[in-house]
Amino acid sequence: MTIAWIRFALTAVAIVLGLISFTGAVVGNWRFGFIMNRMHAAGIGDTMALFLVTAGIIISSVSGMDILKLIMLVAFLWTTSPVSSHFLSQLEYYTNPRLDDEVERRDRNGSDGNI
Amino acid sequence: MTLENAYTLLYSGALIYLAVLMAVMMVRSIIGPRITDRILAVNMISTMVVASIVILSRFLEEGYLIDVALIYVMISFVSILIMCAVYIRRDRPKKETGKKKKERRKKK
Repeated sequence: MTIAWIRFALTAVAIVLGLISFTGAVVGNWRFGFIMNRMHAAGIGDTMALFLVTAGIIISSVSGMDILKLIMLVAFLWTTSPVSSHFLSQLEYYTNPRLDDEVERRDRNGSDGNI
Repeated sequence: MTLENAYTLLYSGALIYLAVLMAVMMVRSIIGPRITDRILAVNMISTMVVASIVILSRFLEEGYLIDVALIYVMISFVSILIMCAVYIRRDRPKKETGKKKKERRKKK
């Protein structure tokens, strides 16, 4: 019985920490003014928050197959999140006409301007 | 309080809280102001949906919901990639051909 309660406590701690990370991501998304900063805040939600919530579920889970699938889920999200961030920043680079107000960048036609 | 009640309270509380956060991010995606802000907000909403599906799979004791979450991650990734690709292709300056590049270098 005690072991079950300890397991519950670990689950609760992990899930609550994940929810706090999600809150941080949302607050950052509201408070930052520029998309690159917002992407940084959203990265917390994509990586740490989902990992903590999934870790909580893994601790409380009993089936081995479920645990494997959850690990796969986290690994997949950790792989795809940087790729989508890269594409978003590329989109911002090409579509924002007032990008120079926010960031420093090299010449678009220069040798290093090819992204 | 029994253990089952404690788990139910934890999972339902987490689900309600995630729903509130999703609503907040929905407002952010409506406000914008640029297309990238909207895409990012939708990306975050999909991450929270995945988290709630994972919690729901344990709450309802249905293991197949994790497969749904996996598919959801893939679909959200592909949708963001395609949306970005469409807008990038529309606004990206066209690539220079080799001849034009040589002319520009000569001018310099």
